[in-house]
Amino acid sequence: MDKSITINGKKYAIDVDKDMPLLWFLRDRLEKTGTKFGCGAGLCGACTVHVDGVATRSCVTPVGVLAGKSITTIEGLSEDGSHPLQKAWLENNVPQCGYCQAGQIMNAAGFLAQNPTPSADEIDNAMQGNICRCGTYQRIKKAIAQAADELAREVS
Amino acid sequence: MLVENISRRDFIKTSGLAAGGLVIGVSTPMGAMAFERENDAEFNPNAFIHLQDNGDLILYCGRCEMGQGISTALPSAVADEMEADWSRVTVKQGDADAKYGPQATGGSASIVRMFQPMREAGAAAKIMLVAAAAKAWKVPAEQCVAKKHFVYHNDSGKKLSYGQLASLAALQAVPEKPPLKEKSEYNYIGKALPRHDQGQVVVGERIYGVDTKLPGLKYAAITHCPVLGGKLKSVDKTGALAVKGVLDVVEIPRFEVPYGSIGGVAVVADNNWTAQQALKKLNIEWDLGENANYDTVKYKQQLVKNVENPAQLATERGDLAKAFANAEKVFKATYTGGHLSHSPMEPNASVVFVEKDKCEVWAATQAPVAIQEVLGQYLSRDPKDIIVHVTMAGGAFGRKFKCDYVQEAAAISQKLGVPIQLTWSREEDMRTGFYHSINAQHIEASLDAEGNVTGWLHRVAFPPIASLFDPSVVKPRKGDLQAVDDYPFGLPNFRSEIGDAKAHTRIGWYRAVYAIFYGFSFSTFADELAHQAGKDPFTFLTQLYDANTIKEQQEQAARSKHALKVAAEQSGWFERDNLPKGQGIGLAVHYSFRSYVAMAVRVESDGDNIKVLQVDAVIDCGQVLNRDGATAQMEGAVVMGMSLALSTEITFRDGAVVNGNFHNYPVMRISDMPQVNVHIIESEHSPTGLGEPGVAPFAPALSNAVFAASGKRYRDLPFKPMSV
Repeated sequence: MDKSITINGKKYAIDVDKDMPLLWFLRDRLEKTGTKFGCGAGLCGACTVHVDGVATRSCVTPVGVLAGKSITTIEGLSEDGSHPLQKAWLENNVPQCGYCQAGQIMNAAGFLAQNPTPSADEIDNAMQGNICRCGTYQRIKKAIAQAADELAREVS
Repeated sequence: MLVENISRRDFIKTSGLAAGGLVIGVSTPMGAMAFERENDAEFNPNAFIHLQDNGDLILYCGRCEMGQGISTALPSAVADEMEADWSRVTVKQGDADAKYGPQATGGSASIVRMFQPMREAGAAAKIMLVAAAAKAWKVPAEQCVAKKHFVYHNDSGKKLSYGQLASLAALQAVPEKPPLKEKSEYNYIGKALPRHDQGQVVVGERIYGVDTKLPGLKYAAITHCPVLGGKLKSVDKTGALAVKGVLDVVEIPRFEVPYGSIGGVAVVADNNWTAQQALKKLNIEWDLGENANYDTVKYKQQLVKNVENPAQLATERGDLAKAFANAEKVFKATYTGGHLSHSPMEPNASVVFVEKDKCEVWAATQAPVAIQEVLGQYLSRDPKDIIVHVTMAGGAFGRKFKCDYVQEAAAISQKLGVPIQLTWSREEDMRTGFYHSINAQHIEASLDAEGNVTGWLHRVAFPPIASLFDPSVVKPRKGDLQAVDDYPFGLPNFRSEIGDAKAHTRIGWYRAVYAIFYGFSFSTFADELAHQAGKDPFTFLTQLYDANTIKEQQEQAARSKHALKVAAEQSGWFERDNLPKGQGIGLAVHYSFRSYVAMAVRVESDGDNIKVLQVDAVIDCGQVLNRDGATAQMEGAVVMGMSLALSTEITFRDGAVVNGNFHNYPVMRISDMPQVNVHIIESEHSPTGLGEPGVAPFAPALSNAVFAASGKRYRDLPFKPMSV
């Protein structure tokens, strides 16, 4: 059985207790701290990463079930911060404290990959699980809509 | 202000700055701010400019950044006066150090106290750069002008870059009173500069309190006594110690200092997850102590009784009894609010390494110098030997002013001799807080036959913050009612009273503090009173401000009234008869932390269901430093205001907090976000802060809007408490 996991294109051995959530494998074992701890219960979305392209709460996903899977974290979303969402986040000055934003961006990226032409309501529904306590929601909505437009242009 | 050239002084070596270039230290006179410490020296350097030979400009921010944008706003004021090119600026967060002056960041005070000194620092640097160029060219300085990182000679067209001039500038005399720019000359001040650090945020590289990594770092999880004042009776560590990867179980002492840790038990392990899992295997008995019966439902009922009955006099003006006796009508209402948890997205976390001759701290904190003092005392060391690196805070809202989580990490590190990262679980963060005060207010007002307010009785009861420091404080002190006593309505016959309210938990600053409930009661009651008087609320409020005859309050009354008027105009208040059925607009304005914010909230509501459609927020904070930052603060204030108005409340039962995570502390989510339009009043007043003032007016404007839409009146915060 394959006991390794691919993170941002690089293979790592799963050399911890298989029940350890991916979040802590990333943060404490690999010292990749871009993915944040917010609630530990899948309630806030701060820890969102992609598992085989699907937005997933890493704080409640045991690393042991991810053997052979491919994980993308905020550090690996793009090579140089040029994902349309990252650019839209900057253009709209989204972050305040910024702590939740990695999870927001990863959740939005997973969502746009599945639904590249979302309505405003669909954006709301997709982002409902990601809390921002500073209150950047208005800019998040705008940035996602803008990134979707750019993605649509790239595709066409 | 004192500006001194310290380019070649020892601090360069000790602070790790590359030698060479121009370094300016700034001192500001000590003001009388809320968080001032009395032992601050008369003049403290509080920020530094370091211009390198290659032209790179490092600006240090001594105030703490938690998302409010201060580390962009203040350095941009320096860069503006310095005629620097912002694209050459790197902002660095200053460690805890007296050279930065008071660093405790709260009370929306950073801009009030630092705007002018930062400008003077930049202006002085510019003059020295110009003097250096003049010297190099052997021309009078008056013939030279600085612009965007260069100095130009007017006649010859020669130019030298700031990098080329840096070392020579360091040899020039420091001007004592550098002239400052006119408003029309600003390059950055009052514009919308993006935050300096957002590029790091969107790629996951910004380092927060939870993120510091050190060689040999061990991880700790902690549990505290669920009831304030309780203590550890016994702990069976066997189960936890048997978990693979666990190093130790440490009993944390109670820190008998302001904002001290209440003590607890921590498990130390190779990683956070192992520590958290092992923590559950501890078998702990607590002695719950005297607050074991604290029940917020019952307590709030008691507070209501305490304000609905005569209480202790605070302030009296005119003859209230006569006003009431002669009134056409006396109207009364009672308002309440619950405890709130700050719940920033980053829970309390820090890294501390206590070594034999060194103690180093990495923490998200609003009060780095307090950490030095408390740990200095705890470790019997000189506070200045406690090195505190201030990280970005993943939200704070007042919670990270109280650094119990740093004390605890220090206690563990001291015992084990290894660097410790302590991260509180969300549950610990929510259950071991410094809570916004539970509160009740009762107002009675008399109206004459024309609907004018002739008398106002205002009773308040809430456990005050002072109870943290002094257990003999069992009700608000007179000073806690200042915002009530000085409210700029014209109230010739006025009386305020204080009801009993002994604290049974830790009370602490929460973004906007007492303005949350004072703003709610004044602006909601005034709206109710307008309807009692048969007047429209805008006209009624305007008349209340116009009726103010107290000289010292004229500015407050005028600016409040103006902000309200702009909110009414921008929101379509005057055309509100055209709104669809089931919609309504509510108005509120509140002055707090020296700034004025008015809000007009438009809702759709049948009384029970409430959908906030649009908020027009109007700011009068004097000269705005950063329009985008100011706008962001208003958007955020609406979100926090909406959480506390509609849904968030901390409930105590049997002495302990019942809420534990975001499933039963339902903060606002994205689908509830209304359209927020921010309107900034152009002002010649000196700049004031915006971190907190936006929170207060939202809840009353919402209550007034729901009433306008549906006829249903909400007087208790939150309107829709979740049963937990």
